[in-house]
Amino acid sequence: MKRQTKNQTASETRQTPALRQETQPAVLEFNSVEELLRHDAIHTPVPPAIEHRLARALPAPPPQPAGPWWRRWFRGKRS
Amino acid sequence: MKAIVSEPLAERPDVEEPRATLEASPFADLYREHSRAIYYLALRYLGDPERAEDATQDVFLKAFRKMGQFRGESSWRTWLYRITINHCRNLLQSWHDRHVVSGVDDALWETTPSASDSPLRVLETRELGERIQKALDGLSPEYRLLLLLVADEELTYEEVGALTGQSPDAVRGKLHRARKAFTALFRKTGDEVP
Repeated sequence: MKRQTKNQTASETRQTPALRQETQPAVLEFNSVEELLRHDAIHTPVPPAIEHRLARALPAPPPQPAGPWWRRWFRGKRS
Repeated sequence: MKAIVSEPLAERPDVEEPRATLEASPFADLYREHSRAIYYLALRYLGDPERAEDATQDVFLKAFRKMGQFRGESSWRTWLYRITINHCRNLLQSWHDRHVVSGVDDALWETTPSASDSPLRVLETRELGERIQKALDGLSPEYRLLLLLVADEELTYEEVGALTGQSPDAVRGKLHRARKAFTALFRKTGDEVP
């Protein structure tokens, strides 16, 4: 992406960085509509609620099989 | 004497329900890899964050149910985009039946003296997303979709053509007009930085 940030001019560097951030938003330059949309996509977060809703809506994975009786018996002996 | 019984979470508004997350699985990997692209397409195609959220959930629920049918003839991204496009088109169609939305007249943009080849200079503000949405809303759904798909660097013109039911050459031709229309609309939405 050929995004250029043009806020590094000589006159601006005389200001303190913190002040400049508050008062001067960065100037972005995009060479195409697609570049602008890609920038927008990168800066558009996915709402976490979607994953939470999906996790609740999807069926729980099947429980792990307990295994044969002798494995469970040995496991019990060891602990 | 008051009985010591824990109330169910749903009846206690002061206690938030624990946030569920997808358990490690191929589906969770699929979600993590593609949810940003799918949500973004739904958001900008539909133009409504709440509906985009619902649509993204529905798309991934459909994907979960159909995962077994995926034959690997396309990439996962393309497969998910197809589900998203069909879902969003159905939603747009049902809204269109209720509110007639007019698309953009091509002739209008052909005569607009908009320099679509010159770079777009914008201030990085919170309103940038709103300006983009406004400009996209002014386009026909077909142009909007083309621009959004072509902006995804993972897709080729052939794949965009297959997703929108046209040849790659037709995609290129329409894309030129879509860019021009978008640029003109975008420049109307706010002051451009000289």
